[in-house]
Amino acid sequence: MRADMRLCQFVIWTLAALVCESAFADEAADFFENKVRPVLVKNCLACHGSGVAKMGGLQLDSRDHLMAGGHDGPVIVPGDPERSMLIQAVRKTHDRFKMPPQGKLTDQEIADLSSWVKSGAVWPDAVAAAEPNEFWAFQPVRKPRAPTVSGGVSGLTDIDRFIRAKLESNGLKPGKRAEKRALIRRATFDLIGLPPTPAEVDAFVNDASERAFAKVVDRLLASPHYGERWGRYWLDLARYSDGQLGASKDEPFLNAYRYRDWVIRSLNEDMPYDLFAKAQIAGDLLPSDDPQNLIAGLGFYALGPDEDDRVDVTGQVFLGLTVGCARCHDHKYDPIPTKDFYSLLGVFKSSDKHQFPLASEAVVEAHKRAQKDIQQLKNTIDDFVNKHSTELSELLAAKTSRYMMAAWDAANGQTVDATALKLDETTLRRWIAYLNSPGRDYKFLDPWDELIQKRAPRDEAQKFADEFERFVVQVFADKHAMDDRNYVKLGGAAGVRDEKTRQYTNLESLPIEQYYLWRDLASEPYRKDFLDFKGGVYYYGAKEIDRFLAAEWREHHEALNMRLARLQKEAPPQYPFLHALTEGKKPADVKVYVRGDEKNQGEVAPRRYLTALSKGEPPALQTGSGRLPLANLIADAANPLFARVMVNRIWQHHFGRGLVGTPSNFGQLGERPSHPELLDYLAATFVEQRWSLKAMHRMLMLSETYQLSTDTDEANLAKDPENRWLGRANLRQRLDAEALRDALLAVSGELDRTIGGPAIPLGESNKRRTVYALIGRTKPNAEMALFDFPNPNATSEQRMVTVGPMQRLYLMNNEFVVNRAKALAERIAGEGDTAARITSAYRLLYGREPNADELRLGADFAAKGQDAWPKYMQVLLASAEFSSVN
Amino acid sequence: MQMNRRDALRTMGAGFGTLGLINVLHAEAAAGGPLAPKAPHFAPKAKRVIFLFLNGGMSHIDTFDPKPMLTKHDGKPLPGQKIETDRASGNLMRSPFEFRKHGQSGTEVSEIFPRVASVIDDICVIRSMYSDNGNHGPSLLMMNSGHGLTGRPSMGSWITYGLGTVNQNLPGFVVLCPGYPVLGAQLWNSTFLPSVYQGTYIPSGEREPDKLLANIRNRTYGTAEQKEQLALLDKLNAQYVQRVGHQPELEAGIQTMEVAFRMQTEAPDVFDISKESAATRARYGDGDFGRGCLTALRLAERGTRMVQVYFGNFQPWDSHDDIRLHAKLAHAADGPIASLIKDLKARGLFEDTLLIVGSEFGRTPMIQNSGLEKVGNGRDHNVHGFCTLLAGGGVKGGTTYGATDDFGLRAAEKRCHVHDLHATILHLLGIDHKRLTYRYSGRDFRLTDVEGNVIHDILV
Repeated sequence: MRADMRLCQFVIWTLAALVCESAFADEAADFFENKVRPVLVKNCLACHGSGVAKMGGLQLDSRDHLMAGGHDGPVIVPGDPERSMLIQAVRKTHDRFKMPPQGKLTDQEIADLSSWVKSGAVWPDAVAAAEPNEFWAFQPVRKPRAPTVSGGVSGLTDIDRFIRAKLESNGLKPGKRAEKRALIRRATFDLIGLPPTPAEVDAFVNDASERAFAKVVDRLLASPHYGERWGRYWLDLARYSDGQLGASKDEPFLNAYRYRDWVIRSLNEDMPYDLFAKAQIAGDLLPSDDPQNLIAGLGFYALGPDEDDRVDVTGQVFLGLTVGCARCHDHKYDPIPTKDFYSLLGVFKSSDKHQFPLASEAVVEAHKRAQKDIQQLKNTIDDFVNKHSTELSELLAAKTSRYMMAAWDAANGQTVDATALKLDETTLRRWIAYLNSPGRDYKFLDPWDELIQKRAPRDEAQKFADEFERFVVQVFADKHAMDDRNYVKLGGAAGVRDEKTRQYTNLESLPIEQYYLWRDLASEPYRKDFLDFKGGVYYYGAKEIDRFLAAEWREHHEALNMRLARLQKEAPPQYPFLHALTEGKKPADVKVYVRGDEKNQGEVAPRRYLTALSKGEPPALQTGSGRLPLANLIADAANPLFARVMVNRIWQHHFGRGLVGTPSNFGQLGERPSHPELLDYLAATFVEQRWSLKAMHRMLMLSETYQLSTDTDEANLAKDPENRWLGRANLRQRLDAEALRDALLAVSGELDRTIGGPAIPLGESNKRRTVYALIGRTKPNAEMALFDFPNPNATSEQRMVTVGPMQRLYLMNNEFVVNRAKALAERIAGEGDTAARITSAYRLLYGREPNADELRLGADFAAKGQDAWPKYMQVLLASAEFSSVN
Repeated sequence: MQMNRRDALRTMGAGFGTLGLINVLHAEAAAGGPLAPKAPHFAPKAKRVIFLFLNGGMSHIDTFDPKPMLTKHDGKPLPGQKIETDRASGNLMRSPFEFRKHGQSGTEVSEIFPRVASVIDDICVIRSMYSDNGNHGPSLLMMNSGHGLTGRPSMGSWITYGLGTVNQNLPGFVVLCPGYPVLGAQLWNSTFLPSVYQGTYIPSGEREPDKLLANIRNRTYGTAEQKEQLALLDKLNAQYVQRVGHQPELEAGIQTMEVAFRMQTEAPDVFDISKESAATRARYGDGDFGRGCLTALRLAERGTRMVQVYFGNFQPWDSHDDIRLHAKLAHAADGPIASLIKDLKARGLFEDTLLIVGSEFGRTPMIQNSGLEKVGNGRDHNVHGFCTLLAGGGVKGGTTYGATDDFGLRAAEKRCHVHDLHATILHLLGIDHKRLTYRYSGRDFRLTDVEGNVIHDILV
């Protein structure tokens, strides 16, 4: 209410200013200022104002501009509203333009605009153009004073006053405080993602001091598990994955975890949020005593997809603006012209991915050198083998007839002695098998099959075999000559080894059947989709060629192999590195891709900041790639969005819903804040507290609002069923994927609390916290996905909480759950009698004692013979109470 | 399907109440959760979808789109403007396979699909398909989610979001593949739609029914023991619900436990194809794709809303090397496709099942012989023109729609973008593709983005 008042006052004040400056004597001008300009200012100028977006090339801030119109010509025909595009657009009768895009002007407003055009569209030009970006999110953050609330209430924080004021104005009553056991369980899951231990619950329950809860909050904020919990929320935004991009299989980046650990560490150290953001945008360019620590933040971009995506996540994550929407067209709702997208794209295109070594230059050099030597030697060996392999197959090809006839004789029941015939035994065996195998991809041997079938005389077979041999020799010669020509086409050995060169070079090939003849006789084995070729009859590769080689050659081959083995053994291992960005060699602006089509490039988009966030001409981002100035402009207290967006994210995770319900979209299509003044209060305080996230958590959690119970009040429920005004706390219906798995391990006493380190696949033997699990791109972990773990291929602003039978099946049947229940049963086995065991379990799982009924039910079940305790513990783990937080 | 449900579902997603939710949720809980069947926008022609995905890119000009001019110009350069392909391409190459007219309709089909040819009068061949990007990843995403980049919900997710599913004891959207196609689960992700709409992946190479669906069996405790556990759980949950008071979402969640218990009996049964007769199984063969098609039939019979069967792991149809490999691929696909059509008819399901057979794109009429190929007798990716087969509910069988140019390079007549295909599929299901929306991060999204026209010509 109060916020609405403020807005009203603001509009009135603006109007008053305008009115004062206009000429009262002029009735038409008066009408304009009272009826027309406010409508334009309020509804149109954000996108069609001066110096900003100018969507569709249109500016509605002066009569000249209206007459000049946009890409589609003038928008008014003075005197003729029916033919004026502006009027058609606001009436939504124009076939293409229906303005404003969201909502509709009131009939009165449309009538006013229409009569203004009809009377000649008078525009008094003495008045300066109004501030174009009236939209709330673009207004500077101002710290409002907390409202006074009725009733002599003590212990209320400023936050509570803002909340109470809204409750009051909506006729709602503030709820009562949560009981202590619920509160510490809520706070512990909230801050560290684990359940409180019975000892922690007891300490809090027994602490009668006023600061009891503050002590809990401080203890939790100091826990290294805090970073694991809240770091993971950031990783949702950063679309973090260990998986390589574009890989068809999940081949993890082995160093990706260093970014994940950096996020966790930075949060634990309470790195100021502005620095935290800057490090992720330009960590390589910031002055620092510990540059390595800031460079690690660049994993935010370096682990993710290409430049387009970088522009998009920059907008959504740091600014709550869907800049990505402007890739193909001017943003339809926010003042973000297409050109802005490409201005930022230029910044990222001017930056390169870089593996920042965490090792001395000498180590890096030694590794590179060794890898280069290994590669060279491998090439040498390949060349050696290929040369001799090819030669050998050509020599053997010239004996084709003899091999075939030996096979013929064998087929006719004769004993064939390869050595006596001066043939190679293995090759003969291969020939026999080959001639017997069905389904050849050519027909040249069909006559041979017929000869066999009709039991033809030997000399007929001999005749065919001789002919066939001549043909084979010719095909081999053709292949050889063709390979030589292709070698030249590819530009020699370098081209042959370069995939891109091969991809874009058109080669010669043998006629298809001749190719298959050659392949079946001489090709190395290969696998292609749906084909598994085992190797040609005459093919002898690296492992088999030696017995055909003369002594000197054989020794040479062996020596090469030994040298390779030695090099590989001695080569220094891959040094650790950070996935980072670095400045490109030639930073440059890019051109706008018309309708997002890279092949259709339009005007140059100079690297500069977003127009919507600039007063006048946007600041240039021309220093280097532009990332450093970009980081400084984004992570700035003067940026109206940067602090607001972040405090809203923190609020969301503590209260279940953001003050703005669309945390990565503060634009026109995003939600309006439920408590705009509170949002600004928090944003301003965040800056005052030097961007300390921990101070913000503390402030939110020490409010009464955070500490309310989830109990519903009938009257409140009727008026505010969705609890938008926070008369109570929201019940967390289901723990998220990580908290659920971590809690299972924590209560069973098995959780390995080691902080940081390489990613490990989930599984029975992995007892680490879930945040350290390997996160693939193509093959998501099924259990995590089941509990709404976000897709790492896109930035994710909030966790879904879906419930369904598949999740229940997990709790009922999954071995992981069954085994945790067993471990839990063992853990409590030593607690004493049945009642003591049950009590212990309740304290571990739910942070409370069981009631008499629960004790009785549990004791009855536990008496039911074999495995009764593990089965009982599984029931407690599968219960709604275990996986919800109230 | 009332579109204000959108908000209700989204709220399920956020897990916290929003306006008007309570009643909707009560209704939803009573009806069995967010997957409960929902009324379409208008009377549907098809009630379920089976999508047989020949991943890797089936060549249209060697299968269902004969090109006499290509035969005539075999070995000659493509006339006119060069078109950009993924790899270096050579001259035109005729199909090594013969086409013949089949059925009453006389639709021409390549010799490598003889059994599909025998049911061609039930099939509509769209010969004028085109898409946007000639790489597998973007085209797979386009065909599956209507967008060339990751981050959009899959078609199956949209369909189950819009219509729910009939059988609450089975997943509503099932994906079968022995391993994973290129991009894996990104092809059946629900992304910003609630995850109940995500495709349930079944490793169809697995032969033990119990192993097909994760967590469907408890390997430690028997059914009787589980019943005891559930009885206790019920009592404890009831106490908890009473204690926390009015929390409808929590109650709805607890109720899904019963569904889960029922799923344990029904789900393994549906995946157990040994329950089909030996004669039926023989028709599908013992290959992964054949068994996948038979499983799809069983799922369709039991009310699963959408089943997608990937032909094989990675991208088997990607015949860069030698187009003649298509003969072997088609041999593995031919029987199962034809059998599925026949069995859907025999079981009275054909009339309201939409069967889709197709790839992410087609292949070029030019020969492919870059330095990446072994053989030099294959074809490159072709996103400018390809074909998709539709059959069943609401589709005019025995017809072809649209045409590629003389050589089969580009869709030329009655061009049909993937968005148009999607719009048509939704239309057949009784959904107006412009009205099936979901508000995420402040924007209303749809499967067809801002595109898509229903192809009325192919509808009955």
